[in-house]
Amino acid sequence: MIAYFSNLATLVAIFGILAVTLNFMVGYAGIFSVAHAVFFGLGAYAGAQIALTVAPDPLLACAVAALIAGVLSLCLALPALRVRGEYFVAASLGLQMVALTLFSEVKSLTGGIGGLTNIPRPQVFGVEVSVLPLALLALGLLLWAIHAMANGSFGRTLKAIRDAESAAEALGKPVAVAKALAVAFACAGAGVAGALFALHMSFVNVESFTLEQSVLVMAMMIVGGTGTLFGPLVGAVLLLSLPSALSFLTFIPPTEVGSVQQIIYGLAMTLLMVFRPAGLLGDQTKGKSQA
Amino acid sequence: MSAPLSCEGLARSFGGVKAVQGVSLALPAGAVTALVGPNGAGKTTVFNLITGNLRADAGTAQVRGKPVIGLKPWQVARLGVARSFQDLRLFTQMNVRDNVLAATERGAWFWQGGDRRARLAAAEAAMEATGLTALAEARAVDLAYAERKFLSMARILAAGADIWLLDEPASGLDLASRLRFGQLLRDARARGVAICLIEHNLDVVVDLADRIAFLDRGLVLAEGAPREIMADPKLAAIYFGDRSHEAAA
Repeated sequence: MIAYFSNLATLVAIFGILAVTLNFMVGYAGIFSVAHAVFFGLGAYAGAQIALTVAPDPLLACAVAALIAGVLSLCLALPALRVRGEYFVAASLGLQMVALTLFSEVKSLTGGIGGLTNIPRPQVFGVEVSVLPLALLALGLLLWAIHAMANGSFGRTLKAIRDAESAAEALGKPVAVAKALAVAFACAGAGVAGALFALHMSFVNVESFTLEQSVLVMAMMIVGGTGTLFGPLVGAVLLLSLPSALSFLTFIPPTEVGSVQQIIYGLAMTLLMVFRPAGLLGDQTKGKSQA
Repeated sequence: MSAPLSCEGLARSFGGVKAVQGVSLALPAGAVTALVGPNGAGKTTVFNLITGNLRADAGTAQVRGKPVIGLKPWQVARLGVARSFQDLRLFTQMNVRDNVLAATERGAWFWQGGDRRARLAAAEAAMEATGLTALAEARAVDLAYAERKFLSMARILAAGADIWLLDEPASGLDLASRLRFGQLLRDARARGVAICLIEHNLDVVVDLADRIAFLDRGLVLAEGAPREIMADPKLAAIYFGDRSHEAAA
């Protein structure tokens, strides 16, 4: 039972990192990406390769994963500088599809469809450690950094760009630099989540980095409250613990849990958007239509 | 004394429409120049060409002698040019203080260089001057119309620019707000700010402008003191949409 909850908590922390970093990009900077799982994947493969070929050092794995995901996020930043809104969603969708194909085909780095297996357990100073404290530490640090940025000048710059890009530029703000930095930060965070995921699961394959995964992370962010600090984390807790909670309801036959879960998800999302359109922790004056 | 901002022969077409065809202007320091003309005369396009929001087909523009055509809007802004927009473009979800504070912060990095206290002081002074101090914590989207107009002005004040391009800043204001706005402009003029004002309310223009440039169909038809321009029956006819004299010509 402890192992079960420890596994759930680790996944919540990892997906919490994904949701809060996506929220930084969407909620503060207004860059609506549906390709967050790509950078999660890049981080996972990078972290796994470090553990397999160099050393199972989680700090090194996370650092390399953050660097690779952060640098390659320029692939996402470049379209973000040219197009906005729904056009950018389409551009990031394209990136998600290209990346998924590359993940399956570049077998020397990703292991192809079969993925990378037997990733060694993480060790700090030669002692094997669990991923949970590392993931919680990373989540805490990221939340602190996001809080500091959101309340400082960088957060103000991003929110200004989100609300009125041309006015921000007319006040002397180089919009392209700010957007690229926001994307790089968020994607580097997703990379860290990926490295921790690879070390936790000891196995990664392309199945974990699909569009469905990107949409799940987005759902966590929206359910909890886009643009709030803790909302996306609350969303991650809810959406990951729901399947586990359902499995405790003995009157649902195990074979039907999957479909019951889908129905509850769908209903919950619809009701939430009707009654709390800005998410559970969001400012409810934001989501309502101002007709 | 040379004008801090000048342009020569600015031109821009959209498809077959010649929106601006060879506009030359000079904005002297410590003076209000009004751009007047009917809708579609090219007034806002002139602003957009100077600030880099639109690429000019031809012509030059200088800010204190430095060519600005080809620069990006943020680069032009950093030379000391601040502009307002007809549709205000406030940072709607941010509060008033953050809107104004954002105008004092130009860096796009994770941190700002320079004196943080000076920026805070500039923001507070701009809110004070525009009467927004009591609303500092209110979100821009929740402000009344006149307050939004003043917030747009507060951003320009806080930016510390000495060239202001204002696009219909007084439209829709009641008399009391218009008087307050007039005082803001006079104070700035007294400090030596070069102000260019696009305005349809001719009372405001006569009250505030030192010079008028009358634009029609992308051309400066006349330039001079407000009383002179207003007294020209041909310009008045164009402004009020009567083009019969053209048909007769």
